[in-house]
Amino acid sequence: MSQINIRRTLLLLLFPGGVFLCFFFLAPLLFVLVESFTGLDGGVTLQRYISVLKDPQFRQVYFRTLKIGLIVTPLAVLISYPSAYVINNLSVGRKSALMSLVILPLMTSPVARTFAWIIILGRFGLINQSLRALRLIDEPLRIMYTEGAIVIGLLQLFMPLMVLTLVSALENIPDEVEEAALSLGSGRVGCFFRVIVPLSFDGLIMGVTLVFTGCITAYVTPAILGGSRVLTLSTLMRQQALVLMNWEAATVIAVVMIATTLVLYNSLRLIRPKNL
Amino acid sequence: MKKSKALVLILILMLVFLLGPFLVIILSSFGSEALMKFPPKGFSLKWYDKVFNIKMFRTTFWISLKVGLLATGTALLLGIPVAYTVVRFRFPGKSVIELLFSSPAIVPGLVIGFSLLRFFIYVSNIPIIVGLYLGHTAILLPYTVRVVSASLRNFDPAVEDAAISLGSSRLFSFLSVILPNIRGGVVAAFILAFITSFNNIPVSLFLTGPGVATLPIQMLVYMEYYFDPTIAALSSILIVITVFIVQTAEKLLGISQYV
Repeated sequence: MSQINIRRTLLLLLFPGGVFLCFFFLAPLLFVLVESFTGLDGGVTLQRYISVLKDPQFRQVYFRTLKIGLIVTPLAVLISYPSAYVINNLSVGRKSALMSLVILPLMTSPVARTFAWIIILGRFGLINQSLRALRLIDEPLRIMYTEGAIVIGLLQLFMPLMVLTLVSALENIPDEVEEAALSLGSGRVGCFFRVIVPLSFDGLIMGVTLVFTGCITAYVTPAILGGSRVLTLSTLMRQQALVLMNWEAATVIAVVMIATTLVLYNSLRLIRPKNL
Repeated sequence: MKKSKALVLILILMLVFLLGPFLVIILSSFGSEALMKFPPKGFSLKWYDKVFNIKMFRTTFWISLKVGLLATGTALLLGIPVAYTVVRFRFPGKSVIELLFSSPAIVPGLVIGFSLLRFFIYVSNIPIIVGLYLGHTAILLPYTVRVVSASLRNFDPAVEDAAISLGSSRLFSFLSVILPNIRGGVVAAFILAFITSFNNIPVSLFLTGPGVATLPIQMLVYMEYYFDPTIAALSSILIVITVFIVQTAEKLLGISQYV
């Protein structure tokens, strides 16, 4: 096929999808971005940003959101690494069976998944009823509408992502590598940290990026488990837009959310272990 | 380390944490009291009866189904050619194209929904259901492109070259040689995209309005007013359907490798 012909084919194949995304994805985002810098008189201004960023409530919510991500992500790594390691060493059939169970929280209706936690963490929920039966508490503990509840909900939602990326990273490490390390006198723990972790590091970073950005932008989990008492960036944005009808603030929060996600996405990728 | 008991224990605890809540919700959907308690008291099917008798759940179920099928179909039609181009050709600006088609999965859904709403209001008054369809198609495109690309990479390009060198047109060879060979990937893309659309809340949140909602949005609205096991019953139905779909898709297509 001639060069020109190929070029025409490429254009033809990419055109419909490309145009669709330009119209119904890029243009709206640009529109909001421009709007966020436009003053009432139509000129360029930072006024909207200044008033949102100065607001102590916004700052509190912003740092709380980051904090939740900073708690969930390491917990997910700690639990997922050993689990992924065990899953990866199973036979093909068992591995597939386990993976299909692990991905269930990602595939289930978010309302169903989160509602389950109300039944567990609520006033008359599983935890409070058990603690009372054991006579450890008199008054029910308040677990719902706390940061802790959000952390638990997000951990269930995003751990599957971490396990998935870690398992596919571990799959690429030949068994011989580990055997070699062990036969050369490496201890099992040493082998894990000095051989397995460095060799699956890209997967780890990928998982960390997905989980952390996921935590920062998640909506349903903080909406149900945190409510209006413990706001995160996304529930604050929804409140500003749909409850308080403060579109200016919502626009700024939207831009801040994208900016934070993009910075995390691009900076986490730069992390490399020293000895690789 | 291959068979350490401590590691297996961590895996089991993780599975309990990931899946236990689903068991809890299914058990409590059979309780007879209106107050959500665990363990539930009594046994009753009345909450299931109630789910089917609430008209808004039926209406929004059909809207979710319609939007999900249409958006998934469109995302496949637009996404398969893109996946084919990205896998089969090298061309300048390829990385930009790949970035463009993966970014709706990176940008927060809430922001996509919000900006689409602002955009639709500004540009014209697009009917709610059309707005939902367009927004969902945009967020599904990364899934269809990624999953179909993955299955195209496993297909030997020499087979296509052979068909073309024997005089078949590129379009015909795609339809008759490639498509049948990647149909597993296409079906996996369909399932993943449809589930993503059917469960979506962040994008739909801003694009639904009075009278037109999707099922998950309607469930959230219901929860704001009533706190009884009706949502547990509806959730249980959705969980059982999801488990069935995921298990079947795993056996037939190995869907977990595409997630």
